[in-house]
Amino acid sequence: MSDDRPVVAATRRATKTYPGVRALDAADFEVRAGEVRALLGRNGAGKSTLIRLLSGVETPDSGTVEVGGSPLGDGGVRRATELGVGTVYQELSLVPQISAAENLFLGVWPRTAGRVDYPRMRAEAREVFAELGLDIDPDAIVADLPLARQQLVEIARAFRARPRLLILDEPTSALAAGEADIVLAAVTRIAGRGVGVIYVSHRLDEIRRVADTVTVMRDGAVVETTDVAGATTARIVSLMLGEAADEVPERTEADVDRSATPLLSVRGLSVPPKLEDVSFDLYRGEVLGLGGLMGSGRTELLRAISGFLPAGAGSITVDGQRVTRPTPAVMKRLGVGITPEDRKGEGVVPLLGVSENMVLTWFKGASTAGTVSPARVDGIGRGLIERLSIKTARPDTPIVNLSGGNQQKAVIGRWLHAQSRILLLDEPTRGVDVEAKAQIYRIVRELAAEGAAVLFVSSELEELPLVCDRVLTMRAGRLAGEFTGADITLDTIMAAAMAA
Amino acid sequence: MTTTTAPTPPANTASSGFLARYGHRLNEIGLLAAIVLLYIVLGSTAGGFLSVDNQLGLLRNAAMIGIAAWGVTLVIISGEIDISIGPAVAFASVIVAKGSAEWGLGVGGAIVLTLALGFAWGALAGWLRARFNVPSFIATLGLWSVLGGLALYMTDALPVPLPESAVFDVLGGSILGIPTAAIVMLVLFGVFAYLAKYTAYGRTVFAIGGNAAAARLAGLNVNRVRVLLFATTGLLAAITGVLLAARLGSGNGGAAAGLEFDVIAAVVIGGTALAGGRGSLLGTLLGVVFITVISNGLVLLGVNSFFQDVVRGLIIVAAVLVNVIISRRNAATRLV
Repeated sequence: MSDDRPVVAATRRATKTYPGVRALDAADFEVRAGEVRALLGRNGAGKSTLIRLLSGVETPDSGTVEVGGSPLGDGGVRRATELGVGTVYQELSLVPQISAAENLFLGVWPRTAGRVDYPRMRAEAREVFAELGLDIDPDAIVADLPLARQQLVEIARAFRARPRLLILDEPTSALAAGEADIVLAAVTRIAGRGVGVIYVSHRLDEIRRVADTVTVMRDGAVVETTDVAGATTARIVSLMLGEAADEVPERTEADVDRSATPLLSVRGLSVPPKLEDVSFDLYRGEVLGLGGLMGSGRTELLRAISGFLPAGAGSITVDGQRVTRPTPAVMKRLGVGITPEDRKGEGVVPLLGVSENMVLTWFKGASTAGTVSPARVDGIGRGLIERLSIKTARPDTPIVNLSGGNQQKAVIGRWLHAQSRILLLDEPTRGVDVEAKAQIYRIVRELAAEGAAVLFVSSELEELPLVCDRVLTMRAGRLAGEFTGADITLDTIMAAAMAA
Repeated sequence: MTTTTAPTPPANTASSGFLARYGHRLNEIGLLAAIVLLYIVLGSTAGGFLSVDNQLGLLRNAAMIGIAAWGVTLVIISGEIDISIGPAVAFASVIVAKGSAEWGLGVGGAIVLTLALGFAWGALAGWLRARFNVPSFIATLGLWSVLGGLALYMTDALPVPLPESAVFDVLGGSILGIPTAAIVMLVLFGVFAYLAKYTAYGRTVFAIGGNAAAARLAGLNVNRVRVLLFATTGLLAAITGVLLAARLGSGNGGAAAGLEFDVIAAVVIGGTALAGGRGSLLGTLLGVVFITVISNGLVLLGVNSFFQDVVRGLIIVAAVLVNVIISRRNAATRLV
């Protein structure tokens, strides 16, 4: 890759250690003007650390970071900004209630005689949008814009400061496939203006469309930088996985009878624009993995099956009986239970006791003659606490005191109390420590062995081979692959989820 | 204690047994102590405070606040607010008077109509909240204005006398020497305390106030509970209105002005969190007693009636402040 374009940013032998982890290990990294560089790697591979060093959020323990030929030193974010680094993080940082133009100039309002000059602000914003080929009204209130356009406003804001280097951290992860296109087009234009772009994404198809080169990271090290055009998907996946690709995980496989009537049968389910034409069967005693990236439609699928998201088309059949009106109440009665991805926001009721958090799906099951009996609540709580190995001081300890893993077990336990047979678990191991993860795997296997059907969603694709009898992968709202038995390996799943 | 990460500070060890057992009741215990203190101080300084007549009067006054406060406690625990109580009570008193005296419904018919209407307008506010996400503050503010306006418009702000009736005599009077309103209040207290602690409905209210999204995903019918909550406060306000009319002998469009704030203050002093998810009926009962005793004491002490409001305001804020500090300390030991 001989290239005479100037280097806009670089790290030289940069190393960063956090307690217990070497997050970045002597990383050499360069981006040139006008180049779109994709940055790939599994969770924990060191992508975020590299980005944090380049944007000045962190300083390396050893080695240097340079932007536009000048060392960043200890200058932090301020110095990085002065040298021309713009960063767009995964979470939007716009003020939703004000206009797009004002968001672009937040903190640097154009002023005339000390007062904010709105006409100038509007005009300059219009210029920036035009330059990026965006059709966004500067006066539009950000909250009224579709998510993709909000993301573009965010990118335009970073571009407005005329950066040398623009870092985009998964800018399309929350977008549906069609919406991502305009973001990609804008990125191409930005690079055309001579800005060096670092594009972090897990979506290989996007990377192929937008990036010139790709840097793959693994275990804190830069493994390889290569032309996107010349690299096959299989090669990229094997670079990302390294030796992990060859590991054969230990797994207990159940004997699932797939000739019986499926417990849950989904046909042609669509929830525009997030979910399109999804069909699959889930059998008694089976743990069905659902892999896919964030925004691939996994959560929407679970919400649609449990009745919380009205489906645009398609049918849901439980135990051979087609469900004509899948409302939350109906699906719950049919034995469907859902645990949400956002445990804190939608899972636990923080101040209520552990037991009460579990009986609340079915108060009747803890009542005598219409009276909720504290003794029975306590008894049921103790039973589930023991069965699920939940660590808590007492059954009535407010659940907020428990660790994430134990909270998660209680949220699953809530559906055991409701005697659900179809468990939809959305990222049950997110933010959970290693020990609790292993326990959750065991619990899921045990439930399946007892005859439940489990749909196990995870974006940590590594864990799917450990727990599942069968794995489906989703991409851009559609099912993209199905793997059974020996075919469930990390590299096949990852290739299908990222695809190209 | 395997799950709490922070070690217990050593200074707490001496009292940890007591705190562990009664920590969550600290607010109620403190409030009870404050009430006892008030009784001692007022008993020795305010002439006639401890007399039987005054104590029965206290009970009657407490009923004005208390009956509605039971419902409002649940509303606030669920994370909502109802500020319509005062005008709702006034309007109910007008309806029951007009119904029995002018519309020929008879006493029984008028009372049934009033209670049904109370349930209906409450349900309407709850429906606006549940179905259209109108903030409950706004929905009940609308109710506050509409009911208050209607009550005055229908009566030209003049009292509407009740017809002679044994039923009204009993409702406005006493049974075995105890004010009927106070009996109603205590019976309803029992009902609501049971409802809150021992029924699926009551537990659902706590779950919704603690985390509405989680309650919904757990399959609880959040909308129905929200409608019922406000329908209940509407019904309780109507009951209060009927009792008030019976006691005054007339329906009065301007009655019970500002009652909603006494009710909310009693609930909050009782330790129910305005943010929802936490609270108790027992706390509200003590809060009602606290507020009623202070008001009564200020009258007996001969404090200027305008200045009474100043003192009451200060005491209410101070009581809530203590409450917040206590609960924050509890939360700190719990969450850190």
